[in-house]
Amino acid sequence: MGPVQVLVVGFDRPAFSGEVLAEFTRLQKAGIVRLVDLLLVSRAEDGTLQTMAAPPGVAADLGGLAAELLGRLESEAGGETAAAYADPADVPAWSLADAVPAGSTAAVALIEHMWAGPLNAAIQRAGGSPREETWLAPDDLEALEALIAQREGRTASG
Amino acid sequence: MLLVPRQLRRAGMTGNVPYYGGRFTPAQAYAASHRSARSHGPVPSVGGTASGAGRAAVPTPGRSVPPAAFPSSTTDTLLALQHLLDAGVVTPEEYRGLRARVTP
Repeated sequence: MGPVQVLVVGFDRPAFSGEVLAEFTRLQKAGIVRLVDLLLVSRAEDGTLQTMAAPPGVAADLGGLAAELLGRLESEAGGETAAAYADPADVPAWSLADAVPAGSTAAVALIEHMWAGPLNAAIQRAGGSPREETWLAPDDLEALEALIAQREGRTASG
Repeated sequence: MLLVPRQLRRAGMTGNVPYYGGRFTPAQAYAASHRSARSHGPVPSVGGTASGAGRAAVPTPGRSVPPAAFPSSTTDTLLALQHLLDAGVVTPEEYRGLRARVTP
């Protein structure tokens, strides 16, 4: 299995048109990413998280895998609102409680990056080890695009 | 159905967490030294749950941070440095060096 990313996206008013799932289907057919599971959650003002029913038109068990992985399902509120199974003092840790603000709704996607498996293997075979991994901020992305355009302009004129 | 979130390890695409010698990552160090950032704008974080207790929200470091999120005075900076020293994040030697940069 390739690396799996957890993507949490908040919604003010969830509107599931099927467009996102259609895009995942396209990406999976192209061998780029695979949507392993998709969980919808809502968080009450008191901080408790509730799973939401899968939107119409998708498998009813959608989200079950993600729910089991990311937390513990309980039929009734037991007073406890979070559990720590990893010590954040030892390792960088996160939980859905950090990602979903009270009073909001979110979609939590488990996304397998199918393209990354062979790349990771190649990096490991080359003896590489990661030092940093992040995404460029929008302004840095703009700067990169400007640099690329500048170089392409130079190449075209030269 | 109620979902009690659990804490999971963070990992990168390669599956390895960069090693920072047991110290804070740069993002965690930033959050610890900018604790007042919580009161500036919405922070999609803890919300009073047990899992988030005591854990600072991590704003994105860099140019996107509004100036208001930075310590307003040298006193704030020194307090933050003292906190990092007390918490064992920086050594006394590093503390002295950093302090000297704040109060030359």
